[in-house]
Amino acid sequence: MNDVMLFGPELYFLGAALVFFLLTLKKRVDPKTDYQIALALGVGGLVVTVLCLCQQGEMFFKAYRVDLFSQIFKFALALAFFFVLTISHNLAHIEERYHAEYYFFLTTTTIGMMMLVSSVELLTIYVSLELSSYSLYILVPLRRGDGIDVEAGIKYLLIGAVSSGIMLFGLSYLFGATHSTYLVDILPKLPQLVSSPIGLFGLLLALAGFFFKLSVFPFHFWAPDVYQGAANQVTTFIATASKAAAVALLLRMVALGAGYGYDFAQALVILSIISMTLGNLVAIIQRDFKRLLAYSSIAHAGYFLMGILTMKEAGYIASVYYALAYLVMNFTVFMVISEVAKDGRDLKIQELAGLYRRSPLLSLSLIVGLFALAGVPPSIGFTGKLLLFTSAMNQGYFWLVLIGAVNGTISLYYYLRVIYCSYFTDDPSLGPVAISTPTRILNYALIVIVLGFGVFPDRIVELAKAAVKTVL
Amino acid sequence: MLLAPLVALVILLFLKDEQKFLIRAVSLVGAGISLALSIYTFVAYDKAKGGLQFVEKFELVKTFGISYFVGVEGLNAPLLLLTGIVIFTGVLTMWELEERAKEFFIWILALVTGVFGVFMSYDLFTFFLFYEIAVVPMYILILVWGSTRKEYAAMKLTLYLMAGSGLIIPGMLLLYASSGLNTFNMLLLHGAKFSPWVQKVAFVLLFFGFGVLAAVWPLHTWSPVGHVAAPTAVSMLHAGVLMKLGSFAVLRVAMYLCPEGFHYWAQLMALLATTGIVYGVFVGLAQTDLKYVIGYSSVSHMGIVCLGLATGTVDGLNGSVFQMFAHGIMTALFFSSVGFIYDRTHTRDIHELGGFSRIMPVASAFFIIAALCGAGVPGMASFWAELLVFIATVKVFPVQGLLAIAALVVGALFALRVVQTTFFNEPNPKFTHFEDVSPFLGLPRMMLIATLIFFGIFPQTMVGMIKSAVVPFLQGM
Repeated sequence: MNDVMLFGPELYFLGAALVFFLLTLKKRVDPKTDYQIALALGVGGLVVTVLCLCQQGEMFFKAYRVDLFSQIFKFALALAFFFVLTISHNLAHIEERYHAEYYFFLTTTTIGMMMLVSSVELLTIYVSLELSSYSLYILVPLRRGDGIDVEAGIKYLLIGAVSSGIMLFGLSYLFGATHSTYLVDILPKLPQLVSSPIGLFGLLLALAGFFFKLSVFPFHFWAPDVYQGAANQVTTFIATASKAAAVALLLRMVALGAGYGYDFAQALVILSIISMTLGNLVAIIQRDFKRLLAYSSIAHAGYFLMGILTMKEAGYIASVYYALAYLVMNFTVFMVISEVAKDGRDLKIQELAGLYRRSPLLSLSLIVGLFALAGVPPSIGFTGKLLLFTSAMNQGYFWLVLIGAVNGTISLYYYLRVIYCSYFTDDPSLGPVAISTPTRILNYALIVIVLGFGVFPDRIVELAKAAVKTVL
Repeated sequence: MLLAPLVALVILLFLKDEQKFLIRAVSLVGAGISLALSIYTFVAYDKAKGGLQFVEKFELVKTFGISYFVGVEGLNAPLLLLTGIVIFTGVLTMWELEERAKEFFIWILALVTGVFGVFMSYDLFTFFLFYEIAVVPMYILILVWGSTRKEYAAMKLTLYLMAGSGLIIPGMLLLYASSGLNTFNMLLLHGAKFSPWVQKVAFVLLFFGFGVLAAVWPLHTWSPVGHVAAPTAVSMLHAGVLMKLGSFAVLRVAMYLCPEGFHYWAQLMALLATTGIVYGVFVGLAQTDLKYVIGYSSVSHMGIVCLGLATGTVDGLNGSVFQMFAHGIMTALFFSSVGFIYDRTHTRDIHELGGFSRIMPVASAFFIIAALCGAGVPGMASFWAELLVFIATVKVFPVQGLLAIAALVVGALFALRVVQTTFFNEPNPKFTHFEDVSPFLGLPRMMLIATLIFFGIFPQTMVGMIKSAVVPFLQGM
């Protein structure tokens, strides 16, 4: 029984995947029932992950560790899964007979990510990563469209495949240098390898797979096209769950590099600076809202690295906090996109014109979400970003923080442009946006979460603190 | 005090757009409670005892040493009073607003919550949090309800201020990190002995970061543009209170935490401040738009504040804080009377208005009183403030002090000329049909004038208050 509880969330989602699989076999297409079943399973997933939050133990010959760290991220993943389902009530751009498949692959990729955050052995990590990636490779081109979906799908697949190839190569170096695939065994052996570049090189290559997921430079090329080309709901999932899982694994892996100290951290500092500067600068000229968010996600990858590369408790806490915050605030913005673009089209920034009149609530959510992304108080994003900066400064990365803060200013410019469009410009030809009662409640809940935990972050910080103890 | 505008804000969120009167009433009550509380703290503050009073404190994030820590002392009590008065009169001034009134009051209350928070916070983290809360609503307030090139002004203002924050964050975190105390509590950080190098770097970052908001020359260019574009109450709050946040923050954070850095950079501060005073006076007088005139006069008056800070003496700081208060009330009066005139005539051009006092004697009187106060006429609050600053400056930086005084004298001459062309020329026949200020709308302006004259006649009430904090402050440096 105990083992069942340990593996509870994964088992639950496996069951859910089976249900969806059966649904795909049905002859008669009935998207409405499918949706209701999916939503019910999503709620169940949340409940199960909460119940399993305090589980602890090891499984599968110690290749799989269940601790507070992994369970928090599993909860975050279940939350993202549920969030995405709440905006899946109109999957306008996915053909109706594929709806069940959409749910099925969404579930399998969630399982993959859940296994990922618990894996402490190189091969398990790799296999879980591929499980989650392959499902996404299928989800991206599922959109019925004008060719851009196929382009996005191929780009995603190619860059994904290349980066996992690089990662595998790096893993083989790590294995070659330490004769083990277990993180616990590798950790103590790494400091002895400081003199030889093989460990450092291997580790950096091994991180490629996660850099890809997090869209860190130089693995960021897929992000704008995939964000734009995939259906809004799929993009939402990639932009929330996928990032959280990547951060979790990066935290586990980078802890390995602590022994290298300076060189390794410097490499990450450079990646962080390039990512955030590049993302923010290119985002300025974007017209498509999702492309803009893609570049903003590249910039955010830089911020995440800032906390990760400190390799100290404070930085890890800040990263975990920011990962959870990012999930919620990014979802808030994407929810607005999918509600405004009811027919599933790509939303141009100009199409937000007059949103304050067409739907005051959505425009409020948009402001809250964007301000949170820009790091404006009293939002969860402000607190998170400041915690990240604090932890980096504590390790003496003065220039990194300075550049990060300047980047915050640049990013505000393009977020404000979106707000400008929705609050100031008006286009009489655009009618009001109707939103249902559940969506309304969701809106209020998100606003309260973003603002509430921004002002009173202590609870989450303490939780994160307890969680990262098990990683470092 | 912090809670009142916040509660009003939440109530407003749930009101409907149609309930116009209720919206205004709720905002007014919220602002009124803040005003009452700020007066109460000002009066009830025990000067003999000094130090921090009315302290509230609880931990927000233990791991990073962040706490919610507010209190009142002689330095911030006048500024709290200022904020209370300006928000109350500001809400009254905007009583006639029709367009999207609910959102307007929501944002303006959010802004005021931030302002109160900054003045009261003794925790660096929450200080900065409130600082940002106070700055950001400006964008939307100017964008939606502003006039004259508002898009440009709003974006310029926000980017300037955010660039300032970009300097503040590293400066602030540098102090936090190098103290090694793992706390954001300013009183504890003050006790940490920072190395001179850290102090110099942090001070320059913080000074320029906060200096943007205080419109320190040459970072002032956003300010006249922003003032002109903003709606009346926002101009009032912005020039009256928000710019004080910048100078107050320089005093409270930069000077308090890095005394050695301050001594190192004081010369530069005085130089920039003097340049600002001279520049503001001369550029302001070339303007024909009344709001631009006030905007540039703010730049020069904030220069006086900054000059006072740069002296680092008891008189200088006293005068500086007093000037923050006096200038705040004065500018609020300026903008509120110009706003009134503009709402009626839709022009702010000096020549077009010519001879306005025959049409609206009362409205013109308000403006003229503010102008007199700006020129530093005895009997007004700012007279004492400027006097104190100049006495201190001439002692410490004689050249700059004399330059600044000369600039102000010239400025006063020209200000009288502006008043003359605007109000005492031949009246423009276009405007003769307008009615003068009604008693109800005149009320907020009367309150501002009363405050100015009260503290002009009894400066000791204010100076004594400020002094009770300045003396220990300087001893701590």
